[in-house]
Amino acid sequence: MKTLVGLTVANLKSLTRDRAALFWTLFFPIMFVLLFGVLFSGSGGSKVTVGFVDQDGTATSSGIRDALASDRSPLTLQIGSLEAEKAAMQNGDVSAVIVIPKGLEAAVAQTRTGRPASVAIQLYTDPSQTQTTQVVQVAVSSAADNFSLAVISGPGQSAVLTVTQLTLASTNVSTVTYLVPSILAMALMQLGVFAAVPLVQQREKGILKRIGATPLARWKLVASNILLRLIVAAVDTVLIIGVGIAVFNIQIVGNLALAAGFVFLGAGAFLAIGFALASFLKTEEQATGVVQVVQMPMMFLSGIFFPFAFMPDFLRSVARLLPLTYLGDGLRQSMVNAPQVAPMAVDAAILAGWLVVCLAISARSFRWE
Amino acid sequence: MTQSGEPVIAVADLFKCYGDVKAVDGVSFQVGRGEVFGMLGPNGAGKTTTIEILEGLREPDSGTATVFGMDISKHAPSIKQRIGVQLQSVSLYPRLTVTELLDLFGSFYNHHLPTKQLIDAVDLGERAGARSMDLSGGQQQRLSIALALINDPELIFLDEPTTGLDPQARRSLWDLVKGLQAQGKSIMLTTHYMEEAAELCDRVAIMDHGHILEMGTVAELIGRRFKERAVFFDTSLKLPAEQLGKLDGVTRAAVEDGQTVLYSSEVAGTIGALLALADSLSVEPHNLGIRQATLEDVFLDLTGRALRD
Repeated sequence: MKTLVGLTVANLKSLTRDRAALFWTLFFPIMFVLLFGVLFSGSGGSKVTVGFVDQDGTATSSGIRDALASDRSPLTLQIGSLEAEKAAMQNGDVSAVIVIPKGLEAAVAQTRTGRPASVAIQLYTDPSQTQTTQVVQVAVSSAADNFSLAVISGPGQSAVLTVTQLTLASTNVSTVTYLVPSILAMALMQLGVFAAVPLVQQREKGILKRIGATPLARWKLVASNILLRLIVAAVDTVLIIGVGIAVFNIQIVGNLALAAGFVFLGAGAFLAIGFALASFLKTEEQATGVVQVVQMPMMFLSGIFFPFAFMPDFLRSVARLLPLTYLGDGLRQSMVNAPQVAPMAVDAAILAGWLVVCLAISARSFRWE
Repeated sequence: MTQSGEPVIAVADLFKCYGDVKAVDGVSFQVGRGEVFGMLGPNGAGKTTTIEILEGLREPDSGTATVFGMDISKHAPSIKQRIGVQLQSVSLYPRLTVTELLDLFGSFYNHHLPTKQLIDAVDLGERAGARSMDLSGGQQQRLSIALALINDPELIFLDEPTTGLDPQARRSLWDLVKGLQAQGKSIMLTTHYMEEAAELCDRVAIMDHGHILEMGTVAELIGRRFKERAVFFDTSLKLPAEQLGKLDGVTRAAVEDGQTVLYSSEVAGTIGALLALADSLSVEPHNLGIRQATLEDVFLDLTGRALRD
């Protein structure tokens, strides 16, 4: 144990004294948060203004209105007629329009008597305004889900209230809420994949070989490397979310334990990928290059900076092959209830798969000198 | 010199190939307790492979290698507790300081010496807080020796400890090794400097192409082949070779490293005859000198080429 701690502290010191490594692991992701935050946060603060059209006009529809307009909601409502609100959206005064259709209260009453009925909220959004659209979709779907859950009596019953997506062109007002978990995913990916570089460097310099000539068990060397990266992952997470909250007032509404689980599973999976890369790379220059080749396309093709739903089909098939897609998806779902690419269990299983396979490859192929 | 009891290293019929290259091709030797044993040979002779097998870093293809009477392939962890290792050209965690590196490596062993004591032993007191990347070549080498001594080892392996060092740094490292020898440590070192082998080693094995060609004390190795001393002068002096061979006392004439060398059993007679010959041809031998035969001559005689070719 003493050895493990000593080795981890030594690695930590090496990292914190290396300005370039420090920049890439800590400051680069935070710069991203700040940059995107400034780019995407409109003058109206962190809340998104949306039009609200109540065609039902009952106590039930008022309840939904109040839920959407609550303090915890990322939305500010502007209430009016369908024509007026659609015009407002086209002018850029509101970012989306929510329409509660006539017959909502009737459908609820009918469901309560045992004859399931359903109505759909019409949600007008603009696919080109990706971040805002994500936030509105999240807020409206979760309100609809919550409403349905309160009405229906048990599992297996179909939802009373669903959401139908409609598109309408608008002008930009946006938010960073969707982006923070994405940037966190990017940071964890980089943290893991970049771990290949110091490993290759330590092998090239003969440090791994020199340690091999001491009685230190090899698993301790591996364990200390993992421990170091997980510590940095935790620091990265706190910093990125902290900056998101402090500077841009983002709302973390999800399950924090689940989010923490995804942080460590994701860091582990990408670290395993880093180890596997280090198994095949010989020189530090090679490692630096290959790591960029691996991480750059992943960064842009995994739906981190623009939602999966709006990707062209062929890009979507590419994204489905990349592990970062599933880490981003898992983190967005667990932190801000974003719409899913895959169920969280699937995200977790795919990341665990990468973890196991890459560790097995490393165990077979890693060379100490 | 103080060989007593069981050898600390015993190697028999060691083989190791890398692909088609036979790096170690049937090597056998023993090192006694308290002995400084040197392997002398050019780059690629198989010295490093041999020493790394003994350090537990490589598996031999066949043959046996025991350290402290234990088979290295079966007891590597307990052997590693008792040996000190200095590898050829290793740089350490560049951003850790001398003190931090010694503390770290100390933590890998069951028992280790105080960091302060080691820093003093290798004379790095003024650089104790410096990062290893900021040390000079000689200082890095001394740090590397300090790390090899951290567990107070009984047997120390030094792989080309002075390669790349300036003469002054080399001298100070030699003094360090002699101090270790005086403490009764057993030492196995490799080198391609014959003067280093001659200066430090009780016994030397001359190695080339994976074989040990000859083994013994420096005096034995020289005495076995050269009863004579060498008379040498610049080759630029054009003297007929067949006449040189017939001069008084000359047993053999050769050209080595730009010098003509006459091995002679009777130096005074040889020089007299040489000067007379030169005089008769109206030339003057430049840089004329006399020396004992050296390990270099032994190596040349064994392999037909110079050590640093």
